[in-house]
Amino acid sequence: MSRPCALLAWALLALFGLGAAQNKETPACCGPIVPRSEWGARPSECSQPLTQPVRYVVISHTAGSNCDTPASCRQQAQNVQHYHASTRRWCDVAYNFLIGEDGLVYEGRGWNIKGDHTGPTWNPISIGITFMGNYMERVPPARAIRAAQSLMACGVAKGALRPDYEIKGHRDVQNTLSPGDQLYAIIQNWPHYRE
Amino acid sequence: MMLWGLLWTLFFSGLQAAAQSKEEKYVLQEGETLTVDCPSNMKYAYNRKAWQRLRNGEEPQTLAVTERSQGTLNQIQVGRYLLRDDPPESMFQVRMINLQVEDSGLYRCVVYFPPPKEPVLLFHPVRLVVTADPSTKRTSDKNSTPKLAPTTIRPTTLPTTKTLRTFYTSSRTVVQSLPMPTAVIPPNTTVNHTDAIRLSVFSIVAPVACGILIKSLVFTVLFVVTQRSFGL
Repeated sequence: MSRPCALLAWALLALFGLGAAQNKETPACCGPIVPRSEWGARPSECSQPLTQPVRYVVISHTAGSNCDTPASCRQQAQNVQHYHASTRRWCDVAYNFLIGEDGLVYEGRGWNIKGDHTGPTWNPISIGITFMGNYMERVPPARAIRAAQSLMACGVAKGALRPDYEIKGHRDVQNTLSPGDQLYAIIQNWPHYRE
Repeated sequence: MMLWGLLWTLFFSGLQAAAQSKEEKYVLQEGETLTVDCPSNMKYAYNRKAWQRLRNGEEPQTLAVTERSQGTLNQIQVGRYLLRDDPPESMFQVRMINLQVEDSGLYRCVVYFPPPKEPVLLFHPVRLVVTADPSTKRTSDKNSTPKLAPTTIRPTTLPTTKTLRTFYTSSRTVVQSLPMPTAVIPPNTTVNHTDAIRLSVFSIVAPVACGILIKSLVFTVLFVVTQRSFGL
């Protein structure tokens, strides 16, 4: 066997070792997140922190309108916040993050503040990520799915999420149709999903 | 090529099994209360939930199980075990009060199905370690036969009733004075200490052995490849 082959074998085995050590997580550099100031968010009045690292992620849908451009998604994020803060009288938009069909992640309450996306049991122990739209009969575009997965990998990289975090569908933990039949079917195939 | 395949299989199978069955360790002192929150699923709202003890080489022992569920919050106390199933919130909570050193071991929350259907694991297996309270003076009580009997033979007493009331509000609390043949040990029998030791050794030896096996295979392959490259 020649020298180059031996070197290649060493390199491959080293890589496999690294891969196994990282538990098969793709090395994550955090992707862009549209900050509150950019999408025109009103100030948050929330103060309850989340204990990190968080063990659970709850995926939901807003069941409202979808949007597929940065301009329309900016507006939609404002609409959702307005509904939650003014009508529902919550301290802020309920979700920690919102995903638009433009493929962008919109900062909600973020990694550090408890959301109001589920219920009293799950809000303190999970990050709530919502897809803006209704996914009973439609699926989000691939770029939206990618944005959500990249966001969660980012959470792990930052230490906000445990490396062994578990994903739940909103309907797994509350009596609701959210995140919609189509999106629910998709997340059930995600590596971190656990029923 | 065969060796590559073998290596791949070893890596993957190890990682897969590790995910769910990874133990959650809880270390507490004697007399303290263990609280475990086991997330459930809405689809199990009407299923019964149970708390089981796992002993090496034995069938899982069901220590307590909830009553037939109406899909609403229901609680039950069986001896030192308090079960609180909250189906609308999808959370099953287990408490073990007045912990004893002998409680140390492996446990799990499950969705309970009538046999022969296998139970469904909730959360992760719980590795409980109860340390002796250094401040209590042990006199003739502590001899070669550890006594579980004095604490478990009184299933109707609730030493922490006050604490119970502060945690549970408007819910139906049922106190069962069940005869628990598996948990109550008559004073005359000796408890086999080696079971607990064997279990903890096994849970350390197995992952270590796996690790050594994988590493030795990797080194063997590397060794062979290097030797060949030097024309030996």
